[in-house]
Amino acid sequence: MMFLAVDWPSILSFALVGFLLVVVMLVLLVFIMKAMGAAFVSHKKAQPVEKHELREEEIAAIATALKLYKSSRHDKESEVITIHQIKRAYSPWNSKIHGLTQMPDYRK
Amino acid sequence: MINFLSANILDSLVDFVGQMGFTVGDWGNYVMIAVSFLLMYLAIVKKYEPMLMLTIAFGMLLTNLPGANMFHSELFAGGHVHWDIFVNNAGLLDYLYLGVKLGIYPCLIFLGVGAMTDFGPLIANPKSFLLGAAAQVGIFLTFIGASALGFTEAQSASIGIIGGADGPTAIYLTSKLAPELLGPIAVAAYSYMALVPVIQPPIMRLLTTDSERKIRMTQLRPVSKKEKIIFPIIITVIVTLLLPSAAPLIGCLMFGNLMKECGVVERLSKTVQNELMNIVVIFLGITVGATATAEAFINWQTLGILVMGIVAFACGSAGGVLLAKLMNLFIKDPAKKINPLIGSAGVSAVPMAARVSQDEGRKYDPSNFLLMHAMGPNVAGVVGSAVAAGILLAFFG
Repeated sequence: MMFLAVDWPSILSFALVGFLLVVVMLVLLVFIMKAMGAAFVSHKKAQPVEKHELREEEIAAIATALKLYKSSRHDKESEVITIHQIKRAYSPWNSKIHGLTQMPDYRK
Repeated sequence: MINFLSANILDSLVDFVGQMGFTVGDWGNYVMIAVSFLLMYLAIVKKYEPMLMLTIAFGMLLTNLPGANMFHSELFAGGHVHWDIFVNNAGLLDYLYLGVKLGIYPCLIFLGVGAMTDFGPLIANPKSFLLGAAAQVGIFLTFIGASALGFTEAQSASIGIIGGADGPTAIYLTSKLAPELLGPIAVAAYSYMALVPVIQPPIMRLLTTDSERKIRMTQLRPVSKKEKIIFPIIITVIVTLLLPSAAPLIGCLMFGNLMKECGVVERLSKTVQNELMNIVVIFLGITVGATATAEAFINWQTLGILVMGIVAFACGSAGGVLLAKLMNLFIKDPAKKINPLIGSAGVSAVPMAARVSQDEGRKYDPSNFLLMHAMGPNVAGVVGSAVAAGILLAFFG
């Protein structure tokens, strides 16, 4: 009885129209997002790199050139990083006695 | 004198005993207290959506403890707040419930959800919106089913939204359309969301073939920061212009996401993701639980809501899977085929539904990674369910 009391044309119309509206709105968003994506991707499209196999001699030559170039840009160093001693030369600038509040002298 | 005093004390004691919960409660209260214990068990031991399930269960306990007088449904009778008697009669939970009644808490939750969501997979593959739309079919099929069971149109719409698998949306719509059903609908929505890994896999397996489950999808393109910043602004403008009733949900979701993506309001983004979200979850859960009073919960309607809720979930999951299969019929390039398992993720429930797609896919091909592909329909489902809620609100609000 409850089944028959329902206003079926109205219920079915609401359901169909409601679902179609959801679909239409999200399809619209698909197009908008595709357009946005296309705008961003087209800017970024990199030129295809031509494939070219390097021979072993060429690779060795490039590596040597790079090694020589980098060596020439750097001073020779001992490559020893151990700290043997620390020089703490006295200076009034690093003197602790000038940085701390003096204790008042106690006078009898 | 002594006789007079003892008579007074006796009267006071009788009054005191008369006010005890044991004397004023009825069986309905005790059944609801048992239900709240069951929900607490599910939240604590089984870890079913514990964040909300525990708070809902405790709200349910507080409202059903006889004599506690923390929540008064009569103050919100007829779908309105009765301000004339509110201040004199309201308990703590009545005051907190105003946030639900006025639609504040669900929107604040959406703010946090937006700040925690990465829309990158959706921006990279906008076709995911279609899967998110298809999964909303459960809402409208359940609307028809609930109407057949004798619910009013507004009540049927509120029951149908359970199929969106989005708790805040379900609470927001129900508080506007059918506040008397808020308790059962919230409990059904969060219970079924916790049961996504149980409900969805049989439907996914039933509707897909072995070869379809093994489809490998091509890697998504990287999405620039600029795109991620523009996305929430565009969606807010477009959806709000087309569907103003969805503005509170979509606006808050996208504002939260903009705060995350723009990178200049790190503190605000972290606040809405953590502190604000947690505070609102407590208020929302405990007050929604408080609406589950014995008279509102123990009836045939609740049983109908629980049955229709699972139908809504199942139909939504099936809708997404079937649309993915349909889309594959029109895609000629095998490299661009869609694995139908990601279609079921269109039912919102972020990120649980996407994880289910990933797990199901790996059962048939352990080296197939569907998670990022499934996140597209998953976040599209959040937008889709908010749009569906806006449409139902515009129809029946």
